[in-house]
Amino acid sequence: MTKKLRWRLLLIFAVVAGMVAGYIVTGYSRAKKEWVGPGSPPLSDALKKGIKLGLDLRGGIHLVLQVNTADALKAQRDNDVIQLQNQARDQGVALGAIEYPSDISFAVAVSPQTDTTKLDDLVKRWLPDWNVNPTSGKWFFTLKDVSRRNIEDSAVTQAIETIRNRIDEFGVAEPLIAREGTDRILIQLPGIDDPKRVKDLIKSTAFLELKLVEAGPSSDRNQLLQPYGGQVPPNLELVQDKAQPGQTQVNWYLVQKAAVITGRDLKNARPTQQQFGQNAVTFFLTPSGAEKFADVTAKNVNRRLAIILDHRVQSAPTIHERISDTGQITGSFSAEEANDLALVLRAGALPAGLTYLEERTVGPSLGLDSIRKGITASVVGAVLVFFAVVAYYRRAGWNAVLALILNAVLLMGALALFDATLTLPGIAGFILTIGMAVDSNVLIFERIREELRAGRAPKTAIENGFSKAFATIIDTHITVIISAIFLFQFGTGPVKGFAVTLIVGLLISVFTAVFVSHTIFELEYGRREHIDALSI
Amino acid sequence: MELFRQTNIDFLRWKWWAIGASWALILVGMGAIFVQKGLKFGIDFAGGTQIALRFAQRPDIDQLRKVLDQGGFGSFGIQRYEEPEKNEVLIRVQQQRKEGRDVTQDVLSLVRQGLGGPIDASKIDLNVQGRDSLAARLAASDPDQVAGKPNIVVAEYYAQIAERVIRRRSEVGIFRSPADANSTPGISTAVKQWLQSNTTTGPFVLLSAENVGPQVGSDLRRKAVWAVATSMAGMLIYIWLRFRSLPFGVGAIVATFHDVMITIGLLALFGREFNLVVIAALLTLVGYSVNDTVVVYDRIRENQRTPKKEPLETVINRSINQTLSRTILTSGATMLVVLALYILGGEVLNTFALTLMIGIIIGTYSSIYVASPIVVIWKQFVDRRKPAVVPLAAGKAAAAPPAGPKPAAPAIPPAPKKKSGRR
Repeated sequence: MTKKLRWRLLLIFAVVAGMVAGYIVTGYSRAKKEWVGPGSPPLSDALKKGIKLGLDLRGGIHLVLQVNTADALKAQRDNDVIQLQNQARDQGVALGAIEYPSDISFAVAVSPQTDTTKLDDLVKRWLPDWNVNPTSGKWFFTLKDVSRRNIEDSAVTQAIETIRNRIDEFGVAEPLIAREGTDRILIQLPGIDDPKRVKDLIKSTAFLELKLVEAGPSSDRNQLLQPYGGQVPPNLELVQDKAQPGQTQVNWYLVQKAAVITGRDLKNARPTQQQFGQNAVTFFLTPSGAEKFADVTAKNVNRRLAIILDHRVQSAPTIHERISDTGQITGSFSAEEANDLALVLRAGALPAGLTYLEERTVGPSLGLDSIRKGITASVVGAVLVFFAVVAYYRRAGWNAVLALILNAVLLMGALALFDATLTLPGIAGFILTIGMAVDSNVLIFERIREELRAGRAPKTAIENGFSKAFATIIDTHITVIISAIFLFQFGTGPVKGFAVTLIVGLLISVFTAVFVSHTIFELEYGRREHIDALSI
Repeated sequence: MELFRQTNIDFLRWKWWAIGASWALILVGMGAIFVQKGLKFGIDFAGGTQIALRFAQRPDIDQLRKVLDQGGFGSFGIQRYEEPEKNEVLIRVQQQRKEGRDVTQDVLSLVRQGLGGPIDASKIDLNVQGRDSLAARLAASDPDQVAGKPNIVVAEYYAQIAERVIRRRSEVGIFRSPADANSTPGISTAVKQWLQSNTTTGPFVLLSAENVGPQVGSDLRRKAVWAVATSMAGMLIYIWLRFRSLPFGVGAIVATFHDVMITIGLLALFGREFNLVVIAALLTLVGYSVNDTVVVYDRIRENQRTPKKEPLETVINRSINQTLSRTILTSGATMLVVLALYILGGEVLNTFALTLMIGIIIGTYSSIYVASPIVVIWKQFVDRRKPAVVPLAAGKAAAAPPAGPKPAAPAIPPAPKKKSGRR
């Protein structure tokens, strides 16, 4: 054995051992996470879990949500308007009616008596996010583009954070929560097969507000508004109650616009049961929240306080005494609902509403079925190819079979090491890779045959065959890799999975078809001084 | 064994016939698409809802239709899967105008009420309920009375039991009665009793449910087209630079595009739906087709390096002949894998395999009859357009009689000395 050959064998051995070890180590670490029994998981578990399977093969829920950033913009606008009104009142600046032409603008009516210099100071100091256009009679405010982008961006970031908290509390193994584009969120929950519950959990805005009730409940909103001349006064708002099962009519409450307490003041929440076994959620406030709450409840004994969740009144109990740091939300909850409500309250509110753009549930049965059939078909296909190659090329065919098996093993190892997820399109990439690996071997063998036909000696034929086929193999592989890179760059999820498998697979295919196959030939024929015939 | 030994077929002689045949195939496909008023997009692209259910008994499709009529979904379709003995049904509901309606849940509850008879609301439906809900209910009643025991977390303990029960459901396909669930290995008698009295088995198991909004569909379409277009452009540029010849690059891309067009057309003709799986198959096909073409091109380039001046057609013909056995063998081997997928791969892989089967046949054909003829036709066209170039470059050529076939200049300047020998 020549020195060169020894080095080659060593390299091949090292690469294969590294990939196999990588696969097993990855599999172990993954199996360990799910292993609850004593000791460490068995090897068979590790072998099964080396490659992360996509939802289409494993079962689970895939969701794409859109964050309605307009909600966050509107909330910011309302906040700032209240801020401006409060400051103006404190400074003695008279402000007229407020109009809202859009989510990112408002107009304040200004009378001739208004101190415009003072107002200008106020605006500069308290509304830095707004562009102002003062005209006589009305000041127009528009949200600055930079601020707008910031608000939208932080709404999405915060939504992702909140969803992650909720899902973590719910307990899902290996969830994927990622931002997609500007305002979309991709969520993948493997193994979950209860879509309704998860969806409700994610989507519930869980925006909790406690507001003082001015009037209501009443089924007639006009009656509530009568004392105010049929108009909703600027500091108040109308809120519906949550429809109870079997209840057809809607009740309205007229409440103060400014909330006493919001979800941000919450320290903790947990499901509890009331006297008669009704489910409820008890919440606990942060110190600063408790201070505010104590202050307001002390001043408003015997008034009603509306507990509003996602803009619906859950209940409106009467304040009997000063309350400091805890309260209870009642309603007709099931035990599960109370549990989930406490969970979302703990995890925090969403800054904006969500819309489901895409939702895919793959039940565990289908996943199991697909993978079982996919594996059977691949194994049968591979065996057929092996058979054909050996029948056609005899002894050289075995070289190809070995190279192909190595190719598959290395690809599995690489996918495990890269922590790639194998999906159905990924399998497509796998098949194309194997196809091209077969092709590389065929190219080489056909070249060797040609050389033999041209009367070259077997050893020269092997050398020439490999070197001539090499250029072709490199060309075909680079062309396809280039296309895969573009697919990765511009494609969406499934297309990306295809591209990753393909790129990794083709790199490995060059290695096995050219380097490994050549080494095997050398090993077989290199030692002999003279070869009479090749079995090819 | 050898199938082809030094064939010498004049492939290019048939090039105009081949081009005619290609156009005919493309037109047939386009015709099929036109008759169907556009491609039949699956919900991945068109949006809407698609639900696959497995029933315990063979479902009555007419009754199912009546039940769903009450939902007010607009148009919907019900289709049996190809293996009818598995009692699997695909329900498809069009995109809903009204936002926020949870079509999946509505369909499921309608079917459950319509086909399942009266439902005992106090019991858990083992066929529909997920692992988590089952685990939660088990933990709440604690049949094995593990609460308070050291080293046991109640939730985890029952999560494992629930997992086993659900896995059992996947294995048997569907539970026909709670007794089926009791065949789950490794659960205690207490749990079995609990299952017997607290659970029921509904008429179906949810295999999959997909709900795609209209925006996502159009986004996906745009992105898929964009990805394929840019990757083709990338290949065009690589081949153009590598072979130092624009006609080669264009030939390869036209051949690939040709394959994709014909495959899409034939899929439409077979009434197949255009979805993400088809996209994956088309991407595979693009890779396969280009690979095939580059192999032939490479041989042409090599054959052009010989000092002997031959007409381009002869060189191309010889190159195709030399690579013929490889082309057939590789196509055949790939076909074996795809055939296995087609027959054994199940519902999901079936369309994928069919697309590839068409694609491999067309791809093999096009690397011989589309990619190379384009190079020849291009060269002939250019030579005819610029008759002055050759005489100016070489005085002797100008004197040659204009009648006979012009000895074609090497289409491609020899590539730089290849570095293949180095290793």
